[in-house]
Amino acid sequence: MKNTRKSIPKLIRRFVGIMLLSVMLLVILNLVFFVVVFVRNTSSFSPWDMADEAAAILQLTDQGFWLPDDMAARLKERNAWAILIDEETHQVIWHTDNLPDHIPLKYTLSDITELTRGYVMGYPAFTGKAKDGVLVLGFPKDRFWKHTRASWDYDFIAGLPRNMLIILAVNTVLVFLIYAIANSTLLRSIKPIINGIQDLPGGSPIHVKEKGVLSELAESINKTSKILQEQAGQLRKKETARANWIAGVSHDIRTPLSTVMGYAGQLESAENLSADQRKKAAAIIKQSKRMKDLISGLNLASRLEYDMQPLSIKQENAITIVRQVVVDFMNMDIEDKFPIEWKTADHLFFCCINADKSLLKRAVSNLIQNSITHNENGCTIFVSVEEDSHDCRICVEDDGTGISDEQLYRLNHTPHYMSCETDRGDQRHGLGLLIVKQILNGHHGEVFISHSGYGGFRVVLRIPKTLYIY
Amino acid sequence: MNDNYLLDKRILLVDDEQAILDMVLSILTEYGFRNVKTAKNVREAMEEAGKLCPELAILDVMLPDGDGFCLMEQLRKSGDYPILFLTACGEDEDKFKGFGLGADDYMVKPFLPKELIFRIMAILRRSYKDENPLVRLRGCQIDFSRAEVIKHKEHIPLTAKEYDLLSALYRNAGRIVTIDALCEAAWGDNPFGYENSLMAHIRRIREKIEEDPSKPVSLVTVKGLGYKLIMEGK
Repeated sequence: MKNTRKSIPKLIRRFVGIMLLSVMLLVILNLVFFVVVFVRNTSSFSPWDMADEAAAILQLTDQGFWLPDDMAARLKERNAWAILIDEETHQVIWHTDNLPDHIPLKYTLSDITELTRGYVMGYPAFTGKAKDGVLVLGFPKDRFWKHTRASWDYDFIAGLPRNMLIILAVNTVLVFLIYAIANSTLLRSIKPIINGIQDLPGGSPIHVKEKGVLSELAESINKTSKILQEQAGQLRKKETARANWIAGVSHDIRTPLSTVMGYAGQLESAENLSADQRKKAAAIIKQSKRMKDLISGLNLASRLEYDMQPLSIKQENAITIVRQVVVDFMNMDIEDKFPIEWKTADHLFFCCINADKSLLKRAVSNLIQNSITHNENGCTIFVSVEEDSHDCRICVEDDGTGISDEQLYRLNHTPHYMSCETDRGDQRHGLGLLIVKQILNGHHGEVFISHSGYGGFRVVLRIPKTLYIY
Repeated sequence: MNDNYLLDKRILLVDDEQAILDMVLSILTEYGFRNVKTAKNVREAMEEAGKLCPELAILDVMLPDGDGFCLMEQLRKSGDYPILFLTACGEDEDKFKGFGLGADDYMVKPFLPKELIFRIMAILRRSYKDENPLVRLRGCQIDFSRAEVIKHKEHIPLTAKEYDLLSALYRNAGRIVTIDALCEAAWGDNPFGYENSLMAHIRRIREKIEEDPSKPVSLVTVKGLGYKLIMEGK
């Protein structure tokens, strides 16, 4: 939606720009056209000039009036006739040979006034002042159109430039309005389609109304959305099936493993067995525990990976959670080889975060378990909670064997096999850290893996603090 | 630990796997429980419950003729005794469902015998603590039924908060109980900010139960984490 808000005004701007450009182009073209036509039609020939010219060169000779040949020829060429009306008698005292029969040969003053500004028997007439009277040229009826009542109000002529400008402005506004209305209708029909296209990557189902000029486009978008939905649904189904399969297998393994662990546990503490036999039972327990951790880790990791583990986020005191995990480990009676030291500052009792308690517990216990698993000869584990103004930092480190720089780089940069599409043997490290990372992702936190100042392995979980609301 | 009276409790064990029944039964009998009956399905469980009048039931969730949650509701109709789920269903939803219906504990298979015994004993101690005449510590005894400490034949009464704290410690005897869990036991659901009060109460409890409160042997501090109640002979 946000992008639609950006792209529609952009579209409108472009439309208006194109329109302005085309209007300007049209005006210029019209002006050029008008000038060309006007010049072509007016410059070469004017009937008034011709009448004046003819009147000036009409000569009175001994044989009567005589029009020079070239003028006579020009008149003939235009099918024009000419008469000369005597100044005093108002009689036609000379005319060309081609004078139509029905043209009167005598004129009153009012006739002369009339013909001066109009027609003689329908023939457009043009007058010129001759020496002895008025020369009248008559042109074919369809040759000229005369404006017989030409008179303009002075104010009208005076206000013409201003009025022209106003008309131009009104016209421009009108053109704009019409254009805007026409375009907005088009944009209205485009808008749902643009929205639809922009929403497609979001993955939610989209339905654009299939009507109007762009119905085919809408139909394609709907089809695309449907295909995407189906594909997403199938993918989801596969992921669910995979997660369910893992859940089913881990459920089915739990029962036989219970028997193994249960009896081995009894044998380990059976007083009538030799120390060697009890040691063997302890080994069975140890391996069974590893299987147990693997099963539950695999199950949780797959549920987190495929978003099937709903997080129940609540306000929690990080210190309470971490302290409980540490105490659970201490109560589990782990061998003395793995003492845990609580390094949280004495004055720090409270560090409020938004967290899923059981998942965060799981993350911290995975880290402690990691230290135990990877240090067979024993190590001291140091656990602390610290805070700064924004974040809570849970730190689990040990003074055990630690890891090499290369291993550290791989842990930080190589994807785990559960979330990697290529089959790579070197990624087959345990699930513990993967789960920690997945859990911290769900808490908007981060996992930092490094060497510990105590000489071993160090993991810091950063989780944003929140205000405590009671 | 003077928990022998708990070993007489009648326990009903329900699981559809014979192997699990046999194993748990052997763990319980080896520890000393004398009255354990088993059932493989809901029908048998109801029959056994009718005859046995159990004081603790250990139930599987998935049973051939029903589920453990429904079975729990049916069992609860005939008697209000603690129930522990012991199941392969390890999802949080299952746990929440179990606890939501009023289960006393929820254990996911596989498990170690020690852990099962500890949890059973914790439930039994909590549910039947009034039946235990005296809890023996080094140098004194606690009588929970009367909320008092008996030291050198002197009866010292416990305040309500001291009683709550000692109960929580006794339920988890021999194990560390976190500062937070103790505050919650004494001050309820919003136990923040009581750390200093807790220290004051612990000091007073020590004055009542310890021979030398400055060198505690029964109620020991685990620095920064919590406290542990150590029973006599442990």
